[in-house]
Parts: sequence; structure tokens; C-alpha cells
Amino acid sequence: MSDLETWRAKAAAWLESVAPTFGREARKGLSEAEDLALGRRYQKAKFDAGYAGINWPTEYGGQGLTHLEKVTFDAEEMKHGFPNFYFGISLGMPVPVLMQFGSDKEFVKERVLKALQGEEIWCQLFSEPSGGSDLAGLRTRAEPDGNGWKINGQKVWTSWAHYSDYGVIVVRTDPTVPKHKGLTYFWVDMKAPGVTVRPIKLAGGDSHVNEVFFDDVKISDDHRMSPVGGGFAVAITTLMIERYVATDSAGFGPHLDLFVDLAKDTSLNGKPAIEDGRIRQQIARNYAMRSGLDSINVRARLMMQAGMIPGAEGSLNKLVAVRSRQKLSELAIDLQGTGGFAFDEHASQKEDWASSWINAPTGRIAGGSDETLLNTIAEKVLGLPQDHRPDKGVPFNQIPA
Amino acid sequence: MTILYDEGQQAIATESRRVLEARVSKDDLLPLLESVGDYHRPFWDTAKEQGWTALALPEAHDGLGLGLVELGLIAHQTGRSLSGAPFLTSNFGAAKAIDIYGTDAQKARWLPGLASGETIGAIAFAAGPDALPVQPDVTLTGDLLAGVASAVSGGLAADIAIVLANGPGMPALTLVDLAGVERSAVASFDNSRCLADLHFAGTPAETLAIGHAAREAALHILALQAVVTAHEQTGGAEVLMEIARDYALTRRAFGQPIGAFQSVKHRIAELYGLVELARANCIHAASREGQPDFITAAAAARLSATEAYDTAARDCIQVHGGIGVTWELGLHLHMRRARSLAIEQGSSLFWEDVLVDRLAGEAA
Repeated sequence: MSDLETWRAKAAAWLESVAPTFGREARKGLSEAEDLALGRRYQKAKFDAGYAGINWPTEYGGQGLTHLEKVTFDAEEMKHGFPNFYFGISLGMPVPVLMQFGSDKEFVKERVLKALQGEEIWCQLFSEPSGGSDLAGLRTRAEPDGNGWKINGQKVWTSWAHYSDYGVIVVRTDPTVPKHKGLTYFWVDMKAPGVTVRPIKLAGGDSHVNEVFFDDVKISDDHRMSPVGGGFAVAITTLMIERYVATDSAGFGPHLDLFVDLAKDTSLNGKPAIEDGRIRQQIARNYAMRSGLDSINVRARLMMQAGMIPGAEGSLNKLVAVRSRQKLSELAIDLQGTGGFAFDEHASQKEDWASSWINAPTGRIAGGSDETLLNTIAEKVLGLPQDHRPDKGVPFNQIPA
Repeated sequence: MTILYDEGQQAIATESRRVLEARVSKDDLLPLLESVGDYHRPFWDTAKEQGWTALALPEAHDGLGLGLVELGLIAHQTGRSLSGAPFLTSNFGAAKAIDIYGTDAQKARWLPGLASGETIGAIAFAAGPDALPVQPDVTLTGDLLAGVASAVSGGLAADIAIVLANGPGMPALTLVDLAGVERSAVASFDNSRCLADLHFAGTPAETLAIGHAAREAALHILALQAVVTAHEQTGGAEVLMEIARDYALTRRAFGQPIGAFQSVKHRIAELYGLVELARANCIHAASREGQPDFITAAAAARLSATEAYDTAARDCIQVHGGIGVTWELGLHLHMRRARSLAIEQGSSLFWEDVLVDRLAGEAA
């Protein structure tokens, strides 16, 4: 067995051992507050067992291992339904960026350790009402204020802001230069005066995203994590940190086996639906698509293991998997007919077709919309031209609204 | 078997691409469309000279002892260049049938010729819409075949064929020497496939497998060929995506390259997705030869590769506009090939059923 396989087996055994305490079954019937509390205890247990910050430097409380162990662990962890999503953004992007760009090392270290143990949560304040895909078009502004800055404006779609202690934020510090050049990157205290967090209820009923308002929020200049006007580069770093995360060819919806089971158990025209050609075709097509994604992911892992950089095809997973999950979920509801009306808004998207279906649009928009991902493939991978951009090179305050 | 290509495998891909790009051009392939029963002899000479015919056959019978992964790499390149004959796949299928199910005498008799490419093999399983018929059109009585195997790829030039026949109350997989067998060429939209109806009339045949085993054997051979063909389809889809991309970068309309319009660039980006999914499935399937899930992996590769090549053929022509439908530009060579490869080795309808039968069984 390779070292990695040995490590995987050990991690899998540990996850197995804590699953009864923190896993899917243990979470049933919990309120969100109780679930979050359980999540914090799970994160602490991970830290104590040496599975938090797997690929982070040991000086910050990490394990000093590689991205490979991290992805390996995530793939095993995914099987048990742990309450870890509260920390997904926090430990995925803002805290690593803080490690890289934070200026006060002692402060950074204290924050990182608390975040790794689930005591503190960080959010990422990027999107705004005026634009999500067009990140550099943001309008929230920071103006010089004494020795520091004063922030005014609004962010939106901020995951877990309502539980967050801190956030990283990109704001406009100079509206007189072209849009990418007038941005600066800071961290903020989410409990500071003038910060208001308002949860947004999404179509599926849950409220993990928020509007965040900034009214004369004062911060000192040591909160700054980029040169003044150099914020866009740091924001892009943030988005690039986890290029090869553990992915899910089911598009974070139900496994295809569940659809096959449904088709076997459902009668259509007096025969099991699994014998119906329309159903069979969708099963076959979805299987072929998912097995292709799985193979891409395995190959990426092998390449990293061999010290190579995986290809750009890894970017296909979300685009391809989520939109097909959306259609397959519709078909699963069709199959159940009037039986498909039943809805439990707390059901898991990975186990329940209605929950998977109603939450699928979020998956096709968050973290890069389908259209943005297609643009990225066309431009960065295939070398096709950028779209026509009328705001290119135009000072931000002269762009027609 | 890992799915990361090693240096030797990468060299096979690079070298075969170099050779094919130097020796095959659409100017040679276009006239073949208008002549029934001919094929591009320089392509087949190249395959023989380069040892591609021997690549995946056992060393004991003059093969090179490599496998499906390496042959797949060659097939990918032949797909890119539009191979001028169907024999690379059909020789491999016929040789595997003899190697796996034949006697020592049959192997000694036929494998060296198939490995050198001097002997051409064909596979005749299908009966019209049925890729693996329960009641084949050809019947086996005693040791003699009768009936017509229709539209067999490579059939016009083949020396031997592996024929699925309707035996005594059960199917039989047979080996037939085609010397003296009457054949009639089938005029097709893709004539270099050398399609022919084989007319058996008391033709002597040797049985390789019988009953349930014959069907299982035929499916296995079909799956092996399907993986080779899937690589070829993926190569074709890949080159069409590149052609579309290059054209979208140079062709201008409304004051900018057409590739700057999202309707065009997204179409090409979607092709990239289809090509990469097909490629990943192909690599995976080739690495699973001999494993219990090989048929499942082959079906997935086949389905995604057929979708990729058909879609790339449609969309590449669409991106080109009017010039795309001209005889001279030759994109229709790919459009034709995409369809002929989609039918050879069983269509998507066949492989969907094969796949779902297995998934439903496994999930039980």
C-alpha cells in the first residue's frame, strides 16, 4: 500500500469512528443552532485528531501535508454527512488568504487557530447587488478616515455571514480609475458598529446566505491586505486557491443508484419504469457523463501524486454535473407523478429528489454561473476572444450605469 | 493499470500523429467518397509499416504485446486524421476473437497475418438494427454457413470474418475464410469503410464458441472494438473542436472575430466538455480490459464518444456557416465518419441497453 493509501485508510477509520457522534444520523431533528454547535465540536475533534488544516503550514496549526492528502480526506469525509459546511467558506478561502496576506503575524496566528478549531468563522464579502459575475464592478466604497478607512455600501449572497466573526472584503477606494484598478482588499470585524447582517431566504427555504450592510464602518489601516488599488489581484488569488477540490460527479445531488432504484420500484404503463426506453436513456447518459467526470478527477489526483499539474478539464465538473442533476431531478419527480408533490424542505439534497431539484438553480449560479464557466473555458483554455466589454479601460465613475 | 499515460505511451501518440498528419490529407479522402469499395491504401500501408496492426496482439504470434491503451492512442490519432480504412479496428477484433476463443492451430494459422496486416479481418455480428441479434440472419448447419451478413465494415477487402450465426437452436460464433465467398459492395455515405454484404452459401466455418458463451464472446469482442472506435471518435471530435476554434478566431463579422460572440464561443466550449468527458471515459475503459466492469466502462466510453463526435460534426459545420457545407472544405468527411463510426460496433441505442442492464443488475 502506498503511503497515501495508508494515510487514507487511517483517515477513513477515524471518520468512521466519529460518524455516530457527528454524522448524518446524529444530525437528524436538530435545529440549526444545535447543528452549528455540533459542527463546532466536530471541527474541534478534527483539529485534535490532526485532520484540520491538512495542507496548511504547521506554524499556523496545520498538518504541513500536501493538497493530495487534503483532497483524499475531503472525499472520505463527504460520505458521512458531517455538519462541516459552516466552515467550508471560512477555511476554504478567507483564512488561507489571511495567512498569505495578513500583516500582523501574531494576530493572524491567533485567528487561524481559532478558525481551525471551529471557534471562529470567516465569511467572504465579494458579490454585490449590482453584480456577481462582474466582480470588479463592485460599488461598496472605502474612503480615507483619519489614519484608517470608512466603509459604506452593501454586499450580498454572503454565505454564513450571520454566524461569522470576521470577513474579508473587496471595496472601491478609487472611482476615478478603470474598475479593476480602484479596488482594495481588507478584513473586517463582523461585530463592528455599522455592520448589519440580514439573512436571505432562498427558493428552497433555507437561509445560509445574507445581505450585509456597511454604514460608516471604521477600520484601521492594518486591516488592509493588499496595496491600495491592488485588491483585485488578491481577490483572484482567493478564487484560485482551491482549483482541485474534492468534487462530486453527482453535482451535489443524489447518486445515480438512487435513480436506478426509483426506476425499479416505480411502475410505468404497467411495467417497471426501468424497462422504459426514455428512462433507460437518461440513466445511461447520466452514467456516461458522471463516469467521465470521475475519471477526470481520478486522473487529476494521480497527476498531483506524480508532481504534475492537472489539466483544465477539472473545471468541467460543476458546469456539467449540476445542470444534469437539475434535469435528472425533474425526471425523478415526473416518475413519481402525484407522489412527487411531497416536499420536506429539510430533506438532504443528496438524498431527496425534490430538494435536489429546488436547490439546483443555486448550484448553477453560485461559485461561477454556467455562462461564466463557459466563458472561462472558451477564453482561458481555448484562447477565444473576450466578449465585447464597453467598460474596458473606462474610469469607473464614467461607466454608464 | 493506471490511467496516466507513461512516456512510451505518449511517444506512441506523438509519433503516430506526426506520421498521419504527414501522410493523410482530405484531398486523398474526398475522391474515395465517390468510388464504391475503394480505400486509402497509403493509410493501411502506414499502419502495417508502423506496426500498428501488431500493437495489441500477443508476442507469441508476432504481435508487440501491448494493449488496448496503446491501440487506443493510435485510434485517437487516426480519428483526428480521418483514417482511410476500417481495418485497424476490425483486424484487432478478429484477432482478439481468435486469440481468446480459438485453438492453437487457428491462432498459428491466422494471427501472424493479422498482426502484419497482410491478412484483413472483419466482424459480422449485426443484423440491421440489432447489433447482437438473438436470431442472426446467417445460419450454421453442421459446419456450413448460409445466408447474408449485411453491410459488414471492411467486408469487401477482408480475408476472414468472425460471424455470429444462428446455430442448432443456439447462437454460434464462427471463423470463416472468405476466399471464394460472394460479396456485393454497399454504396454508402462513407465509402472508404469498404462495406459489403457477405453471401454465404454452404461456406465452411469453424466454431469458436456456442450457445450463451457465443453471445458473451461476441459482446466482449464488440466491447473491445467499441473502445478502439471510441478513441477514434474522440480524436475526430477533438480535431473538429480545434478547427472550429481556429475558424472562430480568424473569421470576422460585425467588426470582430465571430469567436467573440457568446453564441459561438459557448458552442465551442461545450464541445471541449464533450471531448474531455469522452477522452476520460476512453482512457478509463482501455485501462479496465480484463476487469469485471469492462463492459460497463466500454459502454460509457462508447456513448460519450458518439455524442462528442456527432455534436462536434454538427457544430463545427454550423460555426463555419456557408463554407462549412462545401465539398471542398471537407468537413462533411467528419460528418459522414461520425455517423459511420456511430453505427459500427453497435449504436448508442444498443450500448444504452447494455449499460442499463448492468447498472440495474448491480444496483439490485
